[in-house]
Amino acid sequence: MLASLDRFGPELAVMATAGLVLLADLVVPRRHKAWLAGLSVAGLLAAALWLVILVLRGRQASFFDDSMALDNFSIFFIFLFIAVCGTVIIASLDYAPRFGSHQGEFFALMLLATSGMMLLAGARDLVTIFVSLELTSISQFILAGLLRDDKGSEAALKYLLLGAIASAVILYGMAFLFGIAGTTRLVTTNGAPSIASTIAAGDAGIRSALILSMVFLAAGFGFKMAVVPFQMWTPDVYQGAPTPVAAFLSVGSKAAAFAVVLRIFYEGFGPNTFVGNDWKEMFAILAAVSMCVGNVMALRQTNIRRMLGYSSVAQAGNFLVGLAAISALTNGRTSLGASGVVFFLATYAFTNLGAFIAVMAISNRTDSDEIADYAGMGRRAPIPAAVLLFCLLSLTGLPPTAGFIAKVYIFNAAVQADLVWLVIVAVLNTAVSAFYYLGVARQMYLETAEGLPTLVRAPWATQGILVVAAMGVLTFGVYPIPLIEAAQRAVNVFG
Amino acid sequence: MIEQFGRAGFLLIFAIAFPLIPIAASVALGVFRIRPRKPDPIKSSVYECGMVPVGDALVRYNVRYYLFALLFVVFDVEAVFLYPWAVAYRALGVYAFVEALIFIAILFVGYVYAWRKRAMEWI
Repeated sequence: MLASLDRFGPELAVMATAGLVLLADLVVPRRHKAWLAGLSVAGLLAAALWLVILVLRGRQASFFDDSMALDNFSIFFIFLFIAVCGTVIIASLDYAPRFGSHQGEFFALMLLATSGMMLLAGARDLVTIFVSLELTSISQFILAGLLRDDKGSEAALKYLLLGAIASAVILYGMAFLFGIAGTTRLVTTNGAPSIASTIAAGDAGIRSALILSMVFLAAGFGFKMAVVPFQMWTPDVYQGAPTPVAAFLSVGSKAAAFAVVLRIFYEGFGPNTFVGNDWKEMFAILAAVSMCVGNVMALRQTNIRRMLGYSSVAQAGNFLVGLAAISALTNGRTSLGASGVVFFLATYAFTNLGAFIAVMAISNRTDSDEIADYAGMGRRAPIPAAVLLFCLLSLTGLPPTAGFIAKVYIFNAAVQADLVWLVIVAVLNTAVSAFYYLGVARQMYLETAEGLPTLVRAPWATQGILVVAAMGVLTFGVYPIPLIEAAQRAVNVFG
Repeated sequence: MIEQFGRAGFLLIFAIAFPLIPIAASVALGVFRIRPRKPDPIKSSVYECGMVPVGDALVRYNVRYYLFALLFVVFDVEAVFLYPWAVAYRALGVYAFVEALIFIAILFVGYVYAWRKRAMEWI
C-alpha cells in the first residue's frame, strides 16, 4: 500500500494545496487574494513536476490493488487537467474579485474538482470511479452557484438536482455490473476475476443485464459529457455560472467524463466482445442526435455563453463519433477512434478555453454576453476578439487550426469503421455550425460600433493566457504529430 | 432465488397486515356499536410522551440551524470513525495511528475554517 503512495502523489499534492488555500484564505487580507491564485498554481506545478518525475522513473503500473492505474492514458489526462485548471485560475485573476469574500473557496474548489478529475483519469474500480466523480461533481455544483446571484443560484440548483439524478443512474448501472461480475474491478493484473474478464468470457445469458447496465452508465455519464438527451442543464449552467467556472466545466468536466467512458466501455466492456457492437451503435446514435440538436439549438441563441453551451453539446457529439468508431485500427493495434477522442479532447481544451476566456475578458468590461453587443469588438478589444475569432474557426473545424486536424482524424476513423452515414451527418452539421460560429466573427469584424469606446485592456495575465491558447490551437493545427502520438500512446494501454 | 423472494413477500404481507388489522377492527367495532364512543379533549389530544402538547408540529425552524447541524454531523462522524480505531488501537499499530492523525488533521482544517468564517456565531 505505502509502496504505491508516490504514484498517488500528484492527486495528493493538489488536494493538499486545496486545504492550504482554504487555510491561507483565513489570514490573507482581502486585497492580496491574488496570492491564493499563486499558491494554487504553485500546487498544480508541484503536481505536474511530481508526475514528470514518476514518468521519468518509469513508475507506470496498476496500484492500490488494481483500483487505480498510472498508465499513459491517466498521465495524458492528468497533465491535461492540471493545464486546464491552471489556465482557468490564471485567467480568472481579473474576475475573482467578484466572488467577494469567497475567493479562497473558488480556488480551493477548483483544485478539489481538478483532483477529482485526476482520480477519474486513473480510476479502475467502480467505487473509486464513483467517489472521484462525486468529488468532482459536488465541487462543481458549489462553484456554479458561487456568485449567489439569481441566475447563478438557479443554474447551480438545476445542476445539483440533475447531477444527483445522473449519479443515481450511474450507481444503478454499476450495481448491474457488480451483480454480473461479482467484483467492482474493471481489470485486474493478478488474474483475479474482473468485469472485463467476465464480459470477455460472457455467455448470452448476461447480455440483457449488460445492456441495461450500459444504457444506465451511458445516460449518467451522458449528463456529464452533455450529450443529447441529457444536455438540458448545459446552456443554463454555462450562462448562469461564473464565466471561469463555465470555462472549466465545458472543458474539464467533459474531458473527465470521456476519460471514464473510455475506461469503462473500451477497457471494461471491450470493443470486440459480444456486447461490443451494442455500445458502439448506441454511441453512434447518441453522436448523431447530439450534433443535430446541439447545432440547431445553437443557431437560435443570442447570448454567446448559451451559444457556447449548445456548441459544446454538438462538440460532444463529435467526440462520440470516435467512440462509435473505436474498432478502426491503425498500425494493427492503435484504435483510431479512441485516440481521435483523446486528441480531439486535448485540442478542444485549448480551443474552448481560449473562446471562454476571450468572452470573459470582453464581458467583464461590457457586462453583457449578448452577441449583438460584440459589434465592432475587433477594434474595441483587438487581442480577445482575434483569439475568439481564431478559436471559433477551430471549433468550426477550418484549417489551419487544431480543430480541423481533430475533425479530419475522427471522421477518418469513422469512415474506416464503416460509419459513412455518421460522417455525412457530422459534415452536414459542421456546415450548420459554421453559420453561428462565423456569425459571431461577422458581428465582431464587419459590424461597426459607432461611438462605442475602446475597452479597457484585460490584465497581462489574461492576455498572455489568450495568446498561449491561440498559439496552441495554431501549433497543433500546423504540426499535430506530437500530440497525435501522445494520444495514440495513451489509448494503446487498452489495446 | 424465487423462494427467498417468497419469504420477503411473506414478510411484506405481514408488515402491511399488522397495522391494518387494528385499524379495521377499530372501525368495525365502532360500526357495530360494540366500542363505546365518549371523546373528551384530553383523550383526543396528541400523545406526546405524557407531556401536554404545545402548538403545532409543523413549526418553522430557523434556517441558521443548518450550520450547527452540519458541524454536529462532522464531529459525530469523526467520533464514529475514531471509536473502532481506539478499541482496536493495539492491533492496528502505527500505520492506523498515522491515518487517524491525518483524518483528524483534515477535520481540524475544516474546524478552523468554520470557526474563522464565523459559522459558530449566532448572527
